[in-house]
Amino acid sequence: MQKLMITALTASLLATACGASFPAPQQKLADAEAAHRSAKELGADKMTEAQLNLKLAEEEIEAARSQMKAGDNERAESTLLRAKADAELAIALAREHQAKNETGRAVDTANASQNARTNGAQ
Amino acid sequence: MKTERMHAALALVLVTGAVAVTAGCGAGLPPNELVSARATYARAAQGPAASVDPSDLDTAKKNLDRAESSFKNDGDTYATKDIAYAAARSAELAETHARTTLAMKSKDQVDANAHANETNQAQLTAAELARTKGQLASQNQALATETERRKQAEQRAAQAAADLAKFATVKQDPVRGMVITLSGGVLFESAKWQLLPGAEGKLNEVADALTKQDVTSTIAVEGHTDSQGKDAANQELSQKRADSVRTYLVSRGIAADRITASGFGASRSVADNASPEGRANNRRVEIVVKPKP
Repeated sequence: MQKLMITALTASLLATACGASFPAPQQKLADAEAAHRSAKELGADKMTEAQLNLKLAEEEIEAARSQMKAGDNERAESTLLRAKADAELAIALAREHQAKNETGRAVDTANASQNARTNGAQ
Repeated sequence: MKTERMHAALALVLVTGAVAVTAGCGAGLPPNELVSARATYARAAQGPAASVDPSDLDTAKKNLDRAESSFKNDGDTYATKDIAYAAARSAELAETHARTTLAMKSKDQVDANAHANETNQAQLTAAELARTKGQLASQNQALATETERRKQAEQRAAQAAADLAKFATVKQDPVRGMVITLSGGVLFESAKWQLLPGAEGKLNEVADALTKQDVTSTIAVEGHTDSQGKDAANQELSQKRADSVRTYLVSRGIAADRITASGFGASRSVADNASPEGRANNRRVEIVVKPKP
């Protein structure tokens, strides 16, 4: 009888410590998916610098979905932390890529104007 | 006794449960994610993110603190790893934002420099245009002045020629220029080179006419005789007559460096020396006015 009681109490404590019923992280999933979409719209899937993080975000979202389906919502929420972080980094890298391209074009334009002026002055 | 046994059993259960919790959540060395997060944050804190956008770096620091706290409290759990992973990404995000901001600033600077260069170039072009216009206006003015000067000179020359036509022959020779021919009999006695009193009045009119000519023109006084007498004597006489006329014209204000005198004797006859009329025509003084080329 005592052994049975001890086992039941131990199981109860473990369940309480690690979480048993955890709400599905729908909002966090939506946030991660939105960030992932934004990254794609910015062209992250075509930029070498951002492709890896975009791919990781995709895989992490997919993993979170599987975890939710398996009822492990807490684990899914934690996984979505990674997914959102990767998607947001992909967005930032895509914007950096665009900014550097714009700077390069501005430099090229300025150089072309300078050359035109130099040639025109000859 | 039974109650004591129950309490002892409950204490054992609690201790066992606590050990189980500790064992279930893990502890010990930090996970790779946390190690990576610490390194990434340290790198970001040393880079431009610290000065360009400290708020991003601050967020990264808070995420790292969360990861550290999770590790401290819960150990090497998947939650700790995920929080640490996200913390590392937020540090990278801070770095990326800083690089993007710097790139945009660089672009703005390039644009500003290009704009300044264009503005400067436009100003230089405008100044050059204004200078060219000024030069053109100046040239046009000079051209108009020169045109007017020539026009007036031509009018004066025409008037002078008209005045001279009363006692001299005036012709325009395409090669020599304007040729004023005065009869030798009007100016000199036979075989003499001193001017007759009446000659001075005519030469005064010639001098007036010459002063109305373009001051840059040159004047050649040429003496001619008929063929009677010796050539040498005719040559000398024609030279002395040309000199007399030149001297008089200089005395009347014609610049000496504009006027020359030459004698040609009978070498340049314009009429037949066999007749008295022809010889009279050959005895002459020609004043040739040649415009500056």
